[in-house]
Amino acid sequence: MGNEPIKNAVLVIPCSGIGKVHGLMSREATYLVTDELAPAQTDTLCLALLVKGDSEAVAAVRSHACITIDGCVKACAEKNVAMAGGRVAKAIQVAEAFKNHRGAKPGNATALTDDGWTITREIADSVACEAASLCASEEAIR
Amino acid sequence: MSPQTTKVGIISCSGEAIPEGTISRLATRRVLELLRPNATVTLCLPLFLAGNEAERNFAKTHPTITIDGCEKQCAKWGTEEHSGPVSSALVVTGILGTRAVGCHRASRDATQPDKEAVWAVAERIAAEVDTVLAETGPRDDVAAGSSGAQCSCSSPASGGKLIVLGVAVSIPGLPLIFEQCVERDIPADTGGCSALVEAVRIYRRILPEEETGYRSALLAAYQAFRSGPQPAK
Repeated sequence: MGNEPIKNAVLVIPCSGIGKVHGLMSREATYLVTDELAPAQTDTLCLALLVKGDSEAVAAVRSHACITIDGCVKACAEKNVAMAGGRVAKAIQVAEAFKNHRGAKPGNATALTDDGWTITREIADSVACEAASLCASEEAIR
Repeated sequence: MSPQTTKVGIISCSGEAIPEGTISRLATRRVLELLRPNATVTLCLPLFLAGNEAERNFAKTHPTITIDGCEKQCAKWGTEEHSGPVSSALVVTGILGTRAVGCHRASRDATQPDKEAVWAVAERIAAEVDTVLAETGPRDDVAAGSSGAQCSCSSPASGGKLIVLGVAVSIPGLPLIFEQCVERDIPADTGGCSALVEAVRIYRRILPEEETGYRSALLAAYQAFRSGPQPAK
């Protein structure tokens, strides 16, 4: 969002943490989902808008199913969506994805390595599946 | 706050919805890693709500610059609402004007205009850091990176050494500066000397009497850099 109205059913909201690679992975995984894997089902919005208390952003997280992707245990994306009264349908932690990639060197907070992209794409695949499932269940309710 | 401990906080909006949010994030990283590694720290904006008291006190304990992607200025408003007043507030669209048109949100889509935009905004932030430091206390060559201090979330970029007028000089991130010069098609001959000096002057103070020495030392180092293996794009 930021500037465009949200049309799709599921909002994917990363923390975009600026201090560690995990924040970058959350951000890039989100773009893989919204731009490539599930562009017709998902959208994103600026988490900073929620921090600001923007009324449109607050309304958006309350009226859409939200999938949050957090880089660290502080879970800023999940907590901020919840504090705004949003519906967190699924909360994902980037660190969980490393369990199957012990010893991987994902890069840094500025750029991902091949390892980093591999794990990020796995996260994105998982989010896209979750979004499809959410869309299917919302269709079923209608 | 003593001059030795004064570090400027930089809070980026990192807005996910627009390319300018990506530019704000990457430009902030560039300042932390390369331009002013010993003078700056950062914090994730959402931590003002999700974090603890120490994190909410960030803007009270650091002179703080916010860098926002758009005129909504979420970083500025969020910081002032939840942490404290800011020293300066920059907006990417205000810095770049129409140059942000055509930039991308995802790093895998980034092209040369994206890189140029990040550099331009990073240089503007670095200049603002210098201004804030000048207002808050004496500045002891923070750009040169000699104190050993590090920002809270990353290490400074590796430096490059030059011999200027017989004196060894270390310039943080010199290979990255040269990389940028290559991307800007700055020639490795006397025609490129002025551009090289101007590029390095952003990161290190060069006195007028040192300029001739820097011109020849930088040109020789740049020629050596260009004749070596170039990093993958």
